[in-house]
Amino acid sequence: MANKDEVSRRQFLNYTLTGVGGFMAAGMLLPMVRFAIDPIMKQGAGQDMVAVVEEGKITEEPQRFTFKVNQKDGWYESEVTQAAWVFKDKNGDIVALSPICKHLGCTVDWGTDPSHPNQFYCPCHGGRYTKDGTNVKGTPPLAPLDVYKKEVKDGKLYLGQAEPQ
Amino acid sequence: MKWCSKDLDMYLQASEYVDTAIVPLIPITWGSQKKNVILKGEFPLILSEEIERQLKGRVFLFPAITYLVSERDEEILKRISALTSELENEGMPYPVFITSDARWTGAEVLGDRLVNIPPVPLEHMDEEYQREIVSEQVKHILQIVTKKWQNTF
Ligand code: FES
Repeated sequence: MANKDEVSRRQFLNYTLTGVGGFMAAGMLLPMVRFAIDPIMKQGAGQDMVAVVEEGKITEEPQRFTFKVNQKDGWYESEVTQAAWVFKDKNGDIVALSPICKHLGCTVDWGTDPSHPNQFYCPCHGGRYTKDGTNVKGTPPLAPLDVYKKEVKDGKLYLGQAEPQ
Repeated sequence: MKWCSKDLDMYLQASEYVDTAIVPLIPITWGSQKKNVILKGEFPLILSEEIERQLKGRVFLFPAITYLVSERDEEILKRISALTSELENEGMPYPVFITSDARWTGAEVLGDRLVNIPPVPLEHMDEEYQREIVSEQVKHILQIVTKKWQNTF
């Protein structure tokens, strides 16, 4: 009779076979799982965040910063310079707005309309936006300015894709 | 908007908002001054593209009008005038001709439709400085163009 502390031959075989079987199952399953979630992981990797400016330089007054991203335009891949209007709102939160006018795509400027010094102004058809990017009623744009995905890491502001508000 | 069918579709949806054609004037030669002539074409093309980017919703960037250095002034100006009147008749009252060719300074037919920018050899400058120079000039042209637009929208 086997001693209580000893592992019987049957138990030993059971353990090893379960172990080996487990490994084999894992070996088969893992690639499948990877295939399934791969597109999700890839998509995340495509929208890299780019360092734009040190956090300390961001003021309550919107400032224009530029940064470079890779852009695919059909079969043509190129490096393009993008711009963002960056400022801190009343609560001290950082806001990064796209400068592309939602009307027909001109580049908006901050405070260049003398009668509305605290708004974004589009030189093309007089489109205006309040500081938080909301389009002013009665001007051509029908939507607020896009907002960049943002992240602060090691004292630096990183920006990603611009998305509709 | 650029000279491509995608942007033309955009134009057709919003033509009442687009009234300005940007047309670079570019000299061509393969003679001994080609380096100089290329320089005179390079800079206005870069500027025109940048203007298009900033004023996308109201301008249409045309392919350049090119001419041989040896071509006679009258010939070239005749072509430019033909385009100008076509544009005027077709809802583009503010053509802007962008050039770095000093040949057109004071050409009366062009009048204030001409924007003459002295060529800058960008090739030996570092990128930062290049960008500064280009954005300086772009600002200058933007002012000229938006001034034409005053009180129109
Ligand atoms: S493109 Fe900005 S108002 Fe028309």
